[in-house]
Amino acid sequence: MDIFLQVMVTGLTLGALYALAATGLALVWGTLGMFNMAHGIFMTVGAYGAFVAVDMFGFPRPFAFVFGLAAGGIIGAATYLFVARFMIGRRNFETNIIVATAGIAILAQDIILKIFGAYPFSQPVVIDGKFSIGDVIVPTQRVLILVGAALLLLGVNILLTRTKLGRAIRATAMSIDAARLMGVRTSRTYLQVIVIAGVLAGAAGIMVSSLSTLSPQMGGNPMLMAFVVCVVAGLGHIGGTGLAAIGLGILEATIQYFLGVQYGFPVMLLLVILFLIWRPNGLFGKQLVVRL
Amino acid sequence: MILSKALSRDLLISVGFVAALALVPIVFPERYFVGQIITFLIWSMVASQWNLLMGHAGVFSLAQMAFFAIGAYTTAMASRHLDLSIWMSLPLAVLVAMVSALIVGAACLRLHGAYVALLTFAIAEVIHVLIITDTYCYTREGGGCLQFFGGATGFSRISDFGFRPFLKGDWILGNYYVVLLAFAFVTLVTMFVMHGRLGLAFRAIRDNLGYASSRGISRFYTQMTVFAISAALTGLAGWAYAGHFRFAGPSLFDFSTLILVLSMVIVGGLGSIWGPYIGAATILIGLEWLKEFGDAKNIGLGLILVLVVLFAPNGLAALFARLFKHIRPGKNNTPKSRT
Repeated sequence: MDIFLQVMVTGLTLGALYALAATGLALVWGTLGMFNMAHGIFMTVGAYGAFVAVDMFGFPRPFAFVFGLAAGGIIGAATYLFVARFMIGRRNFETNIIVATAGIAILAQDIILKIFGAYPFSQPVVIDGKFSIGDVIVPTQRVLILVGAALLLLGVNILLTRTKLGRAIRATAMSIDAARLMGVRTSRTYLQVIVIAGVLAGAAGIMVSSLSTLSPQMGGNPMLMAFVVCVVAGLGHIGGTGLAAIGLGILEATIQYFLGVQYGFPVMLLLVILFLIWRPNGLFGKQLVVRL
Repeated sequence: MILSKALSRDLLISVGFVAALALVPIVFPERYFVGQIITFLIWSMVASQWNLLMGHAGVFSLAQMAFFAIGAYTTAMASRHLDLSIWMSLPLAVLVAMVSALIVGAACLRLHGAYVALLTFAIAEVIHVLIITDTYCYTREGGGCLQFFGGATGFSRISDFGFRPFLKGDWILGNYYVVLLAFAFVTLVTMFVMHGRLGLAFRAIRDNLGYASSRGISRFYTQMTVFAISAALTGLAGWAYAGHFRFAGPSLFDFSTLILVLSMVIVGGLGSIWGPYIGAATILIGLEWLKEFGDAKNIGLGLILVLVVLFAPNGLAALFARLFKHIRPGKNNTPKSRT
């Protein structure tokens, strides 16, 4: 029972982080058809944003959190306005955007490295303390991550399903031409989507760094994990992404517990690869009728 | 076998290019310069194979650097664990890279488009993580612990091509001509593949999968073949790398290394014939120039990537082809690019 609880606490926290990181990625993929290699750097920027807010401006922690989210949103907007905007609809968009966003990623990562150095600062936006359920000690920060991620994702869900903005986003994802014909300004929708993705990534970055430390390359592994979650769920399937994230988080925690921490990530990736050979379109992806 | 016009033209250019490169160290014998040309030869081998796979066959694989690393690691491990000479490990490196590609391909090539990119990236990352987290000591040499796959530090100071004893100070010339030979082999094979029946088949699949399939071309087997060929030749480049730098380590799996080579392919022009060579030269010259500004390699690389994709999305090869056409109007000199 204690083992179960221990694994669940770790697994759910991981799952919540993955869900935050992957939802933004799935949104951008679903609406823009864009494979965003800069998503990891969005997380890093969010985390450093919160760090700067506390450490340099002395903001209280809740404000610093919001500041971090804003930082993620701003770099998302910048990515769209300065780069992606000019490429959408051009030939080879799918490959070229990967290269362009990867370029942004190493550019921004190096700038952060130049400004802050490689020193592993600890994230100041955390809540200390722990409590215990039975014999299992649960750090409050993990509960905070769970609740925070759930609230943010609920917010995005309401935004997507209940508001005019959300309807425009979903329409654009379904069919760009039809959405345009119905008067949706798709370029603005694109900007909104990528800002939402940046905000979610910023939140994920702050939470990831609160469990370990800040570093310029901290976004790399969570981004890879977010990719994996998206693939398992079926690319662009936003609802399924959350479920897949929680499932994979628990799976990783289980492997970590029974095989050792360093095997959690690679063994899970191996399982995912085997899974994809069995189901090439992911859990929720549409099965292709035409088999070529 | 009758050589088609395009093939004989490209073979002629290749031979001329290699001949010109063979003269370079005689004209400019400075060691640093020769070393830079060797780096160019190695990376352009990798870039040309990536271009073959991604630009011509339309398989968006991000595992290409993993096959390069596998070639280099096989060489290093054969040298360290089996005491094989580098010449003996040449067929081994190529073979291991090819077999790995067959396994990876069997898993990935049933998927399409972005899924292939994601899965190949994930596989390369699994290998990377497994290598750097391995802490079990396979051998203990002089008190130091060496993991079977080299762990987080990798293998360094492995046996080289063996020119030092009899070429003395000019050993780098020996290395140069070995790498050049590998380069010539890779380039010629690429030309034959690209202009042969296989090339027609995978371009047809890239351009119109439905039509190609209905004409009896199997997507899986065609893409598998080109996947294996490009991996084998990339493995050869990995062997050359390990032999010249006497090193194979996890830095070969780094994201920045992947981006470095990918940027050569993209800057040169995806789907062109000479793009990877132009791209490799451009990027290396660019990096050399960036050295003057201190440690700005990644900032410069990122900027170059973004700017090229924005302003010359078809790469420099297409740009040059357009200029060339401008100078000699009436002749169609555009390379076979994605149109």
